[in-house]
Amino acid sequence: MLARAHAFTNDGLHARHVTVEVDVRPGLPSFAIVGLADAAIRESRERVRAAILNSGFEFPPRRITANLAPADLPKAGPGLDLALACALLAATGQISQEGLAGHALLGELALDGTVRSAAGTLGVAQAASRAGLHTLAVAPPRAHEAALVDGLRVAPVSCLRSATRVLGGGEPDRMPLRGAQAAQAPRRDEPDLRDVRGQHHAVRALLIAAAGHHNLLLSGPPGTGKTMLALRLPSILPALSSAEAVEVTRIHSYGGSRVEGLAGARPFRAPHHSITAAGLIGGARTGAIGEAVLAHNGVLFLDELSEFARSTLQALRQPLEEGRVAIARARHSAVYPARFMLVAATNPCPCGHAGSERCTCSEMELARQRRRLSGPLLDRIDLVAHMREPGSTGADGEPLMSSASAREQVLAARERQSARLTGEPSRLNGQLASAPLRRRLGADARAEQMVRRALEAGLLSARGAHRVMRVARTIADLDGSERVRESDVGAALALRPETAL
Amino acid sequence: MTGGTRGCAPAAGLIPAVGPSTASPTGEGACRRCLAGAMLRHSLAGVLDCCARDPARLIDLLDLQDDELISAIGGRRRQELRLLHRRLLRQAPPAAWRGALCRHDRRFPRALGGRGGPSVLALSCEPARLQRLTAGPVVAVAGSRRCSDYGAEVTRALARGLAAAGITVAAGLGDRLSHAAHEGVLQAGGASIAVAARGLGRAGPAAARGLLAGVRERGCVVCELPADAPARRWQAPAAQRTLIGLCSVLVVAEAQESGPDALAVRLARSQGCPLGAVPGRVGSPLSRWPHALLRDGARLVEGAADVLEMLHLAPLDERAPGAGADADCGGCGEQLDARLRGVLDEVSAGSGAPEEISCAGARDALLALSELELLGLVVRGSGGRYRRKL
Repeated sequence: MLARAHAFTNDGLHARHVTVEVDVRPGLPSFAIVGLADAAIRESRERVRAAILNSGFEFPPRRITANLAPADLPKAGPGLDLALACALLAATGQISQEGLAGHALLGELALDGTVRSAAGTLGVAQAASRAGLHTLAVAPPRAHEAALVDGLRVAPVSCLRSATRVLGGGEPDRMPLRGAQAAQAPRRDEPDLRDVRGQHHAVRALLIAAAGHHNLLLSGPPGTGKTMLALRLPSILPALSSAEAVEVTRIHSYGGSRVEGLAGARPFRAPHHSITAAGLIGGARTGAIGEAVLAHNGVLFLDELSEFARSTLQALRQPLEEGRVAIARARHSAVYPARFMLVAATNPCPCGHAGSERCTCSEMELARQRRRLSGPLLDRIDLVAHMREPGSTGADGEPLMSSASAREQVLAARERQSARLTGEPSRLNGQLASAPLRRRLGADARAEQMVRRALEAGLLSARGAHRVMRVARTIADLDGSERVRESDVGAALALRPETAL
Repeated sequence: MTGGTRGCAPAAGLIPAVGPSTASPTGEGACRRCLAGAMLRHSLAGVLDCCARDPARLIDLLDLQDDELISAIGGRRRQELRLLHRRLLRQAPPAAWRGALCRHDRRFPRALGGRGGPSVLALSCEPARLQRLTAGPVVAVAGSRRCSDYGAEVTRALARGLAAAGITVAAGLGDRLSHAAHEGVLQAGGASIAVAARGLGRAGPAAARGLLAGVRERGCVVCELPADAPARRWQAPAAQRTLIGLCSVLVVAEAQESGPDALAVRLARSQGCPLGAVPGRVGSPLSRWPHALLRDGARLVEGAADVLEMLHLAPLDERAPGAGADADCGGCGEQLDARLRGVLDEVSAGSGAPEEISCAGARDALLALSELELLGLVVRGSGGRYRRKL
């Protein structure tokens, strides 16, 4: 007998419809799965057999063939277990075949028949809704995530027995209670800019970076609060728009995180400096996504930048330039969105005290440090904030502003950018290409002359001049000025990354 | 300038009873402080070699005072180097420095007495001969180390003509173009000054030994290193600095902008030294830069007559020490307004970080620092701190 069930497999960030066909006929007992299944699916034969037997069903000693259609699409992950088991039960007449129609099944099976979560549930729910299926059966922990999609009935099923009950027209299990993560309100213990005492220069640079979506480098001796400042960046960034929230939620669901509602806060990813290039951009194995993709629409924070492997940092060039990651491997290729704000922190030299009497680094070490940080990555950083040791700049002084007031300024500046850049592909100064930047800059004559002088004096490259103009435009937006003034360009020049290390 | 001597008053810091303008009992005309500075640089040769990858920075470093130099590049060895410096100040000059002149000796070349340039020079001849050679105008010839036959021939002819006209020619030592210049001078029976990048006691390349002997016999070989010092990478830019310090006019023949030849032109420009360029063959990569210099206003030099004309147009007194770098505004010719002046004074006093500037608000301080940087009066260094450009 033949039975068909509907399932989905992840292909990049997209879920693809897979029809699971199971054919049972007399012959020597065997269980074969065909249709470009990966190792996790091939191993599902053992899980499905044990789950069926442990759930009180019969596993027929016949020749069983399972086909995953379309046959040319590689399938990955254990999320097809539930569909395989249900199709097998229908093919052997243990449940009705009609029940399978209109149901999408997603979940990994434990040996005792329990249904476990599978990654990418939100994407699968969206695809199931688009494919015209009316019900999606998922493991209870993922039920709230699937319920984010309108027009789809979500049936939490905790075990194979529950799934067969749902397919037979019965009631699903109860929706689980929402966890603490679902609360949308910001946490009270969220880091606030008020905690940063002194370092006004760096706080201003952080404000400019947040307002214009500029990549920022924090440089300073150890213990001056670089990481502390970076951790407060999410608190001054605007909340995610609804489209961004769905995108972020889908990426995090695909990455395996448990999702109970739409993402409220912008992602803040801070990978350790021992991360590899594959860990940063993805592609370590089929379907694996990296930290750069997980930071989409948020912040990627690289602490101790000089400790990262050079090859790892080089891998960031494409996402920083194009806002996406294209992974091409022998057996799969995928494109993921990766538009994030890069914030990096580093010591100015190996000992951390460059420029002061306390520095014990040799000239060779300084040269090595400069070589490590200079080049393509530094070329994509818009501004550098230098943190000073307490005492030299009143680091024990008053905080410059609270996160709430900084956020207000950021929101106002972003509104001005958005209004000015209507019709452009990007509404943020930091993401503006050079042609629209020149068109929409609105600099006065003295400001333009200052940039020209800096170019002539060799202080700036052509790319550096664009960067300075972008930052100057954001400073003017923060001040509510229509025109970019000389003082804006002056401040942007002082924050430029060239020769700053 | 080896800065260990910059603040050294003529009477202070010298060996008692020797005085700055007289030779010491051992026959040296160099004071202990200047010699200690030179020896310190010699002992820092490894680090300076590393810095020589960026010649402009190396020149900035060489301009520092001894203690500033130790702070800047001493790294973990700072304490050890300070002790060494103190010991050098106390100990008697080693024999390798015999015959060296310091800037406090009246026979030291006057052209090197201002800002920039070495403080101690080892000579291959009597100081009186160098004094005589540098009494009149000196024409320096610089160019690519890998010059073509054409470049060597033109340089030889130029040097021959200048020597015949009684003009002293100065050039480096150890590359083909410099050798051509010295050969031309010797052919005309003149005397040239060679600025060497290795100790005077060290034999140079075998092929040039005859030439070197000729220069020693009639002219003078000068060097910033002790007699037994091998050639060091940092000495190449330092020798160019000495060469430019000595000369009244610089003539460039076959050079590349990206090469080490660029430093001589940059130094000449910063010191207000008139610049001439020999045109080359169209299409040769070695001609591109001289042609660009000609387009930028350098004098066309086809022969000795053009250089003589340049010397006539640029009398020596225009090149008083330090004339190229106005002490107030780096030769920009502008008067600073009170706002920039205040910020510049604070930077000079050591408040290099933008947030340390107290005479202006945060935004105004950033603007002022950027303006000063554009004027070439300050540079941004490590840790984003600004410092006064030397």
